[in-house]
Amino acid sequence: MSASGLWPYLLVIVFGFLPSEVWRVLAVFAARGFDERAEILVWVRAVATTLVAGVVAKILFSPTGALVAVPLAWRLGALAIGVAAFFLARRSVMAGVVIGEAALIGAAWWLTR
Amino acid sequence: MDSQRPSTRTLVLRGVRDALALPAWVVGLSLFAVGSLAGETGFPGGTAVLSTLLIWAGPAQVIFFAGIAAGTALPAVALAVGLSSIRLLPMAMSLLPLLREQARGTWLQILVAHYVTVTVWVEAQRNLPTLPPEQRLPYYLGFANTCIGVCAVTSYLGYSLVGALPLPLAAGLLFLTPVFFTLSLAAGARGASDWLAIGSGFALAPLSSELAGKNFDLLLTGLVGGTAAYVLQKARGGAR
Repeated sequence: MSASGLWPYLLVIVFGFLPSEVWRVLAVFAARGFDERAEILVWVRAVATTLVAGVVAKILFSPTGALVAVPLAWRLGALAIGVAAFFLARRSVMAGVVIGEAALIGAAWWLTR
Repeated sequence: MDSQRPSTRTLVLRGVRDALALPAWVVGLSLFAVGSLAGETGFPGGTAVLSTLLIWAGPAQVIFFAGIAAGTALPAVALAVGLSSIRLLPMAMSLLPLLREQARGTWLQILVAHYVTVTVWVEAQRNLPTLPPEQRLPYYLGFANTCIGVCAVTSYLGYSLVGALPLPLAAGLLFLTPVFFTLSLAAGARGASDWLAIGSGFALAPLSSELAGKNFDLLLTGLVGGTAAYVLQKARGGAR
């Protein structure tokens, strides 16, 4: 495939941007007429929240790339440590992220020494 | 506080500040990884930046560049990208009513929807309801533009520095998304229905990938788990 000139940029727009953006544009029309307390949006919000949790589980249970080097139990352990730090630090997202990351990077370093 | 309204500039800057406090860096680092993937396709570095500005959805960008690198047929790449981004529909749908007080025109609403990605959605769901409706749009635009701007830079850096990271740091980079999303969901959860949704998403995901394969599993998880959380909440609380 040619990677020169404007061709790659055109591919990003036609085969990446358009099939992704269509859902956002559809949402604009689908959300018409509902206010933020509308019952259907409570359900839609529950679906979206579940989707995000599903994204997390997917990355943890079937990761790609360098994360594969850290076994599942360690990945879950690092997340649990991050969640514990979040609650101990009075619900600080920053504290949870930093400590969870430290646990994971530490484990990856120890395993690949 | 209520008597004096903050200026638009103040609200925009508050959004910028909240983005720079953590979320912009988290999504920025995850798009660093996307940039390094783009670096392996032979595409110019500008495409990594363009994909961040236009596609603005990590999984879709990963699918796009990984598909291109693997020589997948372009229509199949487009289909996979489209499937991965269906999740943006319920997110944008539930976000738009929060901003409609000021974002009335169709084009402005499309712009608002364009910024929706998991990070922006999670944070906006958490922060926007705490602001009066007439103060939300400048805050949101400040927040979202900061995230996308930081990511445009980091995806280019990722493209340029591909392969330079030692493995533990590369693993840490990939771990950032799950740990940040989990904690943001926990921080933003408003009552039992949210916790049910989080728990069911987590529990159903492995089962869904068995049943529905890698293209439809998130959709299955979201619809089944989200509906279950909604119904359980109704059954428990009656008329809230």
